[in-house]
Amino acid sequence: MGINYLASLSHYVPELLACLTMFGLILIEATYKEEKKERGLLFLAAGIGLTSVLVFLIFNLGKEPLSIFTNSVVIDSFSTLSKIIMCLGTLGAVYLTSQSRDIQGNLKPEFAIMATGILVGGMLLSSANNMLVLFIGIETLSILSYVLASLKKNDDRSAEAGLKYALYGGITSGIMLFGMSHIFGVVGSINFTDIAVGLKSLSEGQVLIVLPSFLLFLVGIGYKIACVPFHMWAPDVYEGSPIPVTTFFSIVPKVAGLAALVRISTTFFAEPGVLNVGWVGTLSIIAALTMTVGNISAIGQQSVKRMLAYSSISHAGVMILGIIVMNDLGTRSVLFYSITYLFMTLAAFYIVSFVNDKYGNDHFERFSGLIYRYPMMAIMMTILMFSLAGIPPLSGFVAKFHIFNALIIEKYYTLAVIAGINSVIALYYYLKIVRIMTLKPSESEEEIQGFTYVNQGVVVALTIPVVVLGLFWEKVLMVAEGAKVFVQ
Amino acid sequence: MVSLSSYLFISFALFISGLAVMIARKNIIAILLGIELILNSAALNFAAYARFVNQNIDGHLMSLFIIVIAAAEAAVGLAIVIRFFQIKETIHIDDATQLQA
Repeated sequence: MGINYLASLSHYVPELLACLTMFGLILIEATYKEEKKERGLLFLAAGIGLTSVLVFLIFNLGKEPLSIFTNSVVIDSFSTLSKIIMCLGTLGAVYLTSQSRDIQGNLKPEFAIMATGILVGGMLLSSANNMLVLFIGIETLSILSYVLASLKKNDDRSAEAGLKYALYGGITSGIMLFGMSHIFGVVGSINFTDIAVGLKSLSEGQVLIVLPSFLLFLVGIGYKIACVPFHMWAPDVYEGSPIPVTTFFSIVPKVAGLAALVRISTTFFAEPGVLNVGWVGTLSIIAALTMTVGNISAIGQQSVKRMLAYSSISHAGVMILGIIVMNDLGTRSVLFYSITYLFMTLAAFYIVSFVNDKYGNDHFERFSGLIYRYPMMAIMMTILMFSLAGIPPLSGFVAKFHIFNALIIEKYYTLAVIAGINSVIALYYYLKIVRIMTLKPSESEEEIQGFTYVNQGVVVALTIPVVVLGLFWEKVLMVAEGAKVFVQ
Repeated sequence: MVSLSSYLFISFALFISGLAVMIARKNIIAILLGIELILNSAALNFAAYARFVNQNIDGHLMSLFIIVIAAAEAAVGLAIVIRFFQIKETIHIDDATQLQA
């Protein structure tokens, strides 16, 4: 027993490294004097730590799936790939924090520390094979997120965002636990593999308890993904938090929640039956609502950040479509979608953040005439918006196409039509910003300090994958399959 | 002897009263108390199922972790409420309306 645990640790290096990075950052932060503004060493350490996590994860990619810690944590290619996405997202958000003026200098280290902690929670969540691990993962993610949301001191909007996040989070995790407790009572285990076996031999009365319990379970995860009945917190929290925090929230918790949802769906509901019908039906309604509500609310927004927040809700809806089909093709397209979503969102938020730092807000008008002053940034923003809207040949289109393909093979025509209509609606508000950037004259000639050559380079580097994945996706997918990257 | 169904009944009552507190009360501290009620109903459920139905350690583990994490969540929640009170000088949920579309 003890030896097995020690042997499990050797497969758990990325998570341990992330924990070590967090502790190291706390120690480094403690050595700084209060009034010192620059925290160069700390960000360097964060960068090195997160990059080493990333390197270890990439080395883990092609390996056979294995379950460690008495089968409570599963490490397979799917979880490793979602961890890579989360790690990249964290790195991007930490770099943005070091450049942003939306967070005070002496609070920036706290962001780096909390973000690394949230990454650990997300890693736990994406490879959880046990209700306890899943619960701990969700709570690690949530509790640190509450703190991040209220990071700005003496700012009433930030405090309110944290408050709302904490209250919603508390209710949903309580409801999720209540559901979990009844599943445990009926099936008699908290291990996913054992539950999946137990679900096959249920009496009708037991199904009547288990199905509503799973719906309560879904509340907790749906809250992390921000899908529609549980999305009320998202726009408020996204708006109240500083922009680097918003960037982080729209990537890491979302990908972690989706990974957990994929694992739950494929472990428990792959067998046809009453449970499968109920689960797929619920997810279909949620996905359709999520896409539509997210898109329609995004139309009237003044602030680009809030628009991106709503659009990230609708992207989550599209990703849930890939889970509904319940096969390898669907899971693979969800992963591909989240990779492209990562790059698109990160780069778009970078540009928004630098503009916001200059003018103090990020309304659409602040972007007017950007093409005359910073042509490179305006072109990148245009590419990103086209890709987010799903226009060929960019990667956003390819990702959406894969999901539609999986849907149509499994004959979910209605959902495919709803998703198609939503892409058209999305086109409107994404192109609005492109129109303002190119056609309206510039408001002022002042330069935006955020757009240094290095930062412009970073934005371009983040946009390149958006284009490359769109053009050479076939090769990327082939390489990926050759390495057995995706779910076995 | 107390049966399983009475435990389940009590935990269900706790769950419902927790939800009712969250919906009806306007005081943020009261809402945090409601969250505690919901979490405790789940913990009670796990302990009861572990005692009566499945004689394994999983249920006890879950209830222990729920107690620990509920404490952590309450600590962070209260810290945020204090910050909110320092800025707004109120703990009424209806005053948290800065962020509305």
